[in-house]
Amino acid sequence: MKNPLIKRIPKELVGDWQKYLVIVVFMVLMIGFVSGMSVGRDSMLAAINTGKITLKLEDGSFEFKNKASEELIGAIEKGDMADVREYLINKGYEEADEEVAKAIDEELEKQVTEGIETAVRAQCEAYGITDEDMIQSQIDTFMEENYEDALEEARNSDEFKEAVSDAYKEAHEEVVKAVDEKWDETVEEYNLDDPDFSPVKVTVYEHFFKNEDEDFDKDGVKDAAVRVFKSTDEVDKASFNEGRAPEKDNEIAIDRMHASNVGIKIGDTILVGGKEFEVVGLLSYINYTSLHENNNDLMFDAFGFNVAMVTPEGFDSLRTRTHYSYAYFYDVKPSGKVAQADYADKFLKALITQSVVFDNDLEDFLPECYRQASNFAPSDVEGDAAGTEILCYILIAVIAFIFAITISNTIDKEASVIGTMRASGYTKGELIFHYLSTPVVVTLIGAAIGNILGYTWFKEVAVNIYFETYSLPNCGVVWSPVALVKTTVIPLSLMFLINLFVIVRKLQLSPLKFLRHDLRRTKRTKARRIPAWSFMNRFRLRILFQNIPNYAILIFGIVFVEVMLCFAFGLPDSLNHYGDRAPDMLFAKYQYMLAGTKDDDGNELVTANEDAEKFNSTSLLYEKNVTSFIKGRGSGGTTEAVTVYGIEDGSKYVVIGAELNDGEVYISSAFKDKFGFDTGDKITLSEEFANKSYEFTVSGIVDYEGGIAVFMPNDNFISVFDKKEGSFTGYFSNEEITDIDEKYIATVIDKDDIVKVTTQLMHSMGGFMVVAQYVLLVLSAALIFLLTKIIIERNEHSISMVKILGFKNSEISALYMIPTAFIVLLFTLLGFGAGYVILIYVFRAFMLQMDGWFTFYMSTKSMAMSIVYMLVGYAAVSVIDFIRIKKIPMDEALKNVE
Amino acid sequence: MSEEEKKFLEIHDLRKSFGTGEAKQDVLRGMDFTVSKGEFCVLLGPSGSGKSTLLNIIGGIDTPDSGYVSINGDKLKDMDEKALTMYRRKHLGYVFQMYNLIPNLNVKENIEVGAYLSDHPLNVDDVISTLGLEDHKYKYPNQLSGGQQQRVSIGRAVVKNPDILMCDEPTGALDYKTSKEILGLIENCNQKFGNTVIMVTHNEAIRYMADHVIKLRDGVVRHNDINDKKIPASELEW
Ligand SMILES: Nc1ncnc2c1ncn2[C@@H]1O[C@H](COP(=O)(O)OP(=O)(O)O)[C@@H](O)[C@H]1O
Ligand SMILES: [Mg+2]
Repeated sequence: MKNPLIKRIPKELVGDWQKYLVIVVFMVLMIGFVSGMSVGRDSMLAAINTGKITLKLEDGSFEFKNKASEELIGAIEKGDMADVREYLINKGYEEADEEVAKAIDEELEKQVTEGIETAVRAQCEAYGITDEDMIQSQIDTFMEENYEDALEEARNSDEFKEAVSDAYKEAHEEVVKAVDEKWDETVEEYNLDDPDFSPVKVTVYEHFFKNEDEDFDKDGVKDAAVRVFKSTDEVDKASFNEGRAPEKDNEIAIDRMHASNVGIKIGDTILVGGKEFEVVGLLSYINYTSLHENNNDLMFDAFGFNVAMVTPEGFDSLRTRTHYSYAYFYDVKPSGKVAQADYADKFLKALITQSVVFDNDLEDFLPECYRQASNFAPSDVEGDAAGTEILCYILIAVIAFIFAITISNTIDKEASVIGTMRASGYTKGELIFHYLSTPVVVTLIGAAIGNILGYTWFKEVAVNIYFETYSLPNCGVVWSPVALVKTTVIPLSLMFLINLFVIVRKLQLSPLKFLRHDLRRTKRTKARRIPAWSFMNRFRLRILFQNIPNYAILIFGIVFVEVMLCFAFGLPDSLNHYGDRAPDMLFAKYQYMLAGTKDDDGNELVTANEDAEKFNSTSLLYEKNVTSFIKGRGSGGTTEAVTVYGIEDGSKYVVIGAELNDGEVYISSAFKDKFGFDTGDKITLSEEFANKSYEFTVSGIVDYEGGIAVFMPNDNFISVFDKKEGSFTGYFSNEEITDIDEKYIATVIDKDDIVKVTTQLMHSMGGFMVVAQYVLLVLSAALIFLLTKIIIERNEHSISMVKILGFKNSEISALYMIPTAFIVLLFTLLGFGAGYVILIYVFRAFMLQMDGWFTFYMSTKSMAMSIVYMLVGYAAVSVIDFIRIKKIPMDEALKNVE
Repeated sequence: MSEEEKKFLEIHDLRKSFGTGEAKQDVLRGMDFTVSKGEFCVLLGPSGSGKSTLLNIIGGIDTPDSGYVSINGDKLKDMDEKALTMYRRKHLGYVFQMYNLIPNLNVKENIEVGAYLSDHPLNVDDVISTLGLEDHKYKYPNQLSGGQQQRVSIGRAVVKNPDILMCDEPTGALDYKTSKEILGLIENCNQKFGNTVIMVTHNEAIRYMADHVIKLRDGVVRHNDINDKKIPASELEW
């Protein structure tokens, strides 16, 4: 026979349908969302992982200043470290030989000339010629006739040969000595004596690009930066979302995300580097799933940055300088993160030493595992899913507690029934099972509908969100059993365990206690002391005490929702605030970084612009020493890129203290805030591609929030970094510099570069945050609805009783609703305070993991709104509560007497 | 009747007190009696004399300080909680002064709740007609009068076909006429299904319908009488 108690469950569900509807809708939305995110994520990741192979994602890339010779590429492919010592000695020999030869020639010429002159003068004296003019003309004549022979003769003399070989020997010894003297330093700089080194063989492909200005509305003003590649089949291929690859030299295919963000369509013509191109394809490069212009950019920028494909002829027709970038594949793939790092490390050693001996400069090196542009999207997709999962579980737990309270109240109400059942032989297990059924059934219904919606509708939403943020390859739905577990088993287990715990505790009491309605677990010896307030207030205080578990959950819910509201309002605020201050975050309106300091003819790059001021800069790394929860995400994680500036004396753009010794620096206020430095502190910065570090003492702060930077006088910069006197990296200027050819300009940093982070973040999160604000409003209302419903139901009996006594509805409502109103208001305010503080810390902790810095900010309006939203939710529920109280009949107190 | 059947229920030197120190109250002070199988036994005594306490101990939902209860030779004190639950489930039916019906189950379903527990339940519909509840089969407890609710409560206990039917003041909340009806039903069940009935009451008049009357006062058995001339419940008067 089936347990007849089962029949209660559908009756219970139908009888209290509003409550269960709210709960089911709630769960369907959450589970559906999580399941949609999971499926979306899995599909996305599958597409990316397939793309890595089919579209030949590089294992890494590097860039040389000059085009690499075939020999250099050959050497790199072998993976051996070059013999730097031999190279240095040979180079020294060459230089020394040149000098020695020059010195010897000079000396020889001098001796021969002097010899001839002495001989002629002696002869003239013998003939009695005294006239100086005569003598001089004799010397000239003789010189003309015999100089070459004499020189030849002198050269062949044994004496001379000996002297020469001595001189060379001595010079060579000097060279070796000099190299040896500096050898320890050199070894350390290039890490030459690594006993663990073994060559990593690679295959290298040319992957040249040019950074051009893009002007898509053809108004002559730059709209974005575009990185142009030649079409290739060998490495880092693109998948075409629409259209085709360029075939003519005036055709171009561009990133589809950028195109959709700025509104470029197939068939449009755009200006790239001043030249007209027709857009024939919208693509996504497998190595640019997120459009990070530089690897240490905090955020990608699909508005201001674009990647494109042109034909080789089209590429050659562009005027700016070519970046000699090369992509490589390891011949044997490293497996796992550790092996990847190890490979990269060894390969870099080969790369650096080979570039030294082949007289080229390594400009950039980026193993794919550290590449933001290809790793950011998948890790973000993953992170989002994890985040929503956790939020969902928290909310399910809240619902589980609401259930637990409801059940706990039902058990109180049904105490004598339970007592009777236990007395007539129902086991504890049967009753626990019975009371657990409702939450489990409701969760099952929620999970079933939620998952169906998740796999259909929400999946589309999730995929769209990602497709509208990242340049992902096309994807199909992947059915994942893991997602099903996460969205069914976990909510079910949460619901089951929390309720089991509460019900088991509740049903622990003996049948007799149930029959006697004696459900207190511990006997309270003294009655709770209640202050001598008015009757009404004492009554209210009692209601509070009676409903402590309800209010506890209510408080948790309110604080949770309020913290989320702070986030939903605060994030867009922080972004806007940062964007608003962006113009102040530049030293000058324009900051030109030059590709070199000389033009093709060897003349220094100068400008007539009076506003322009030279500066030096370089990039070093700061070791963060933070335990990282997103370690290995791009280059972020353990090191922070720090820009070091050399500033001219009396600069009008950056003000630093007058007299600074070597090793004394100013730091940007962002640097100070992010890592908590102050004047007098010491900071150690190290080179990226060489094992060399510098220690600086902080002497002052430059009020600059735009980046993590260090400033020192230009003279100090030159001596610290061993630069040539007079060298510089670029110009600061408040006016645009027009008289330097753009092919010599590496980058221009202006306001847009600062705001691009926040623009992109606003684009991908802004809309989502507004939705979140409304969702939270509904959420808070639903929570308060459920919990006040429980409180009122629990007190139905006494409400009915006071009605009989003659209290008016309004009085009764005031009695029962004011405590809740008070709690809601108090904890909304406290929750807001907590949220604000928590978010400041969370932002900080998060930014510590990333490159760059910006802080949490909330405008007064948003602060008010985050509180108002919660109270609006409450106000709506109060109306319902009032009606509920009004509807309680007076005979409630009289009937169903137990 | 065999010796075993005569000592079907045996109460031996049962003692129970509540509270400690000054507040200590000895409710049962050494109680002895036996009830034989199929008997209609009434426990009589003024309010507060420990009848319910005694009944609860017999029912295995309360424990004595000393002494024992044995049913069919099994001593309750040797049973753990699980075994006690099984004992109640298999052998006992309970009727209380309050009806304690499950509010969102109808009459039939409430009776099924009892039937579920038994290995050899009576037919639910038979019980319903025996109790005269055919017309109310699908009504919910809050649609019934007190007397009707008490009938359902008896039905729930009787449908198990329990060895012992325990009734704790089943008519305590009912008027004279309804009380007599209810007593008649219990009597009817006792005769029809042969269950042993132990009924607690403070109503002296009820003794006349019983086979066996045990009178309690001050925690001990004052009278232990076998009633030879019992009269039907319908003829009781008070
Ligand atoms: N759990 C208990 N705690 C304290 N005293 C109790 C408890 N149960 C019963 N009593 C006391 O024991 C005495 C007998 O109670 P009870 O058996 O219910 O009497 P009756 O059923 O005969 O009216 C009463 O005085 C009552 O106050
Ligand atoms: Mg009693």
